[in-house]
Amino acid sequence: MAKIIGGLGTSHVPSIGAALDKGLRDTPDWKPFFDGYEAGKQWMRDAKPDIAVVVFNDHGNTFFLDRVPTFAVGVAETYNPVDEGWGPRAIPAFEGAVDFSWHFVDKLVDRHFDPMVCREIEVDHGLQVPMELFFGRPDAWPVKVLPIWVNTIQYPIPTPQRCWDMGKVLREAIESWPGDERVVILGTGGLSHQLQGARAGFINQAADRAWLDGIANNPEPYRAMSREDYVEQFGSEGAELIMWLVMRAAMNSDVNLVHKHYHAPASMTGAGMVVLENAA
Amino acid sequence: MSAAATIPDTPLFDRAGSIRGYRINKMAMALGQPANRAAFKADEEAYLDSFGLSAEEKSAVMGRDWHEMVRLGGNLFFILKISAVDPTPITRIGAAQASMEHEDFLHLRLGKKRNG
Repeated sequence: MAKIIGGLGTSHVPSIGAALDKGLRDTPDWKPFFDGYEAGKQWMRDAKPDIAVVVFNDHGNTFFLDRVPTFAVGVAETYNPVDEGWGPRAIPAFEGAVDFSWHFVDKLVDRHFDPMVCREIEVDHGLQVPMELFFGRPDAWPVKVLPIWVNTIQYPIPTPQRCWDMGKVLREAIESWPGDERVVILGTGGLSHQLQGARAGFINQAADRAWLDGIANNPEPYRAMSREDYVEQFGSEGAELIMWLVMRAAMNSDVNLVHKHYHAPASMTGAGMVVLENAA
Repeated sequence: MSAAATIPDTPLFDRAGSIRGYRINKMAMALGQPANRAAFKADEEAYLDSFGLSAEEKSAVMGRDWHEMVRLGGNLFFILKISAVDPTPITRIGAAQASMEHEDFLHLRLGKKRNG
């Protein structure tokens, strides 16, 4: 059986990737943000995973409104970074964990999920940025990926409970996989931000800080919250945080919060990270 | 869900918005392709016409009226691609929607220190 060696949560703000592209890492705006991720990067170097499951949403780059899958799972051999309008980014393509991804699809459908299954598809900053934050800028990524897209753009978005349920199936898929791969799960998005409407620029630092502890030590209230609650507390785009629940539900009830970092604002977002390990 | 009506100043991209904004978002989505970015730069109005935008929608796009584009159903993730062709910091787009001066927006909403 494959082994879950950690659950990570992180923001995936596109400006983070742009800051790295422009060499702004050590500028006053960005240095405190990136410095806080060094512990996460070190954890990843030590953990030596084989597969990264990345739960994220597309941002109008890969999926248009002509077809909006509530959940999509990648089974591709390669995922190229998509052109988001600024031209292609100079980061390596991502190699897919093909067989394991199909196994996850099998498990999902067995458990009454109905994902879109994607054989040929590109990935946007929702996947790119978390990988850069934890793996830096290698010549080739040291892991294969299993991408899971969650619709957080067009309502109705899935409920927090449904994301949680998917995390349970993800765990089952990992534990029933015959290989001995070491798997990390990245729940991405958030934290509080709102890009649209007169409340644009809304950041809720208190709610963000509570989230980073709560997702580790007391996630039940977040699972029970409505989508409206998420929007109200974390902003319209902050509702992306429901994707962390997929990661959290795949972990043990008891986890150790190994690393935590918060910085606001990163661009227009309260940005944060956690590294969780299953408690013995 | 009907949260759009319940959280002040927070438009959710629901069915009505998706239908209303379909053309404007489709036009913006296409800017992910270099050839379309070139067409937009060469003759913006002709490019917008090729996606069937209404006069109202064209006016919002050509005036870079971000508040109005969102009101017309534009979703920020799509219309952001306009800011890739015609560079505009996202914080300025945010400030425009909040009807605030940029410096005030950075300070009051995002909590950044004021310059000087």
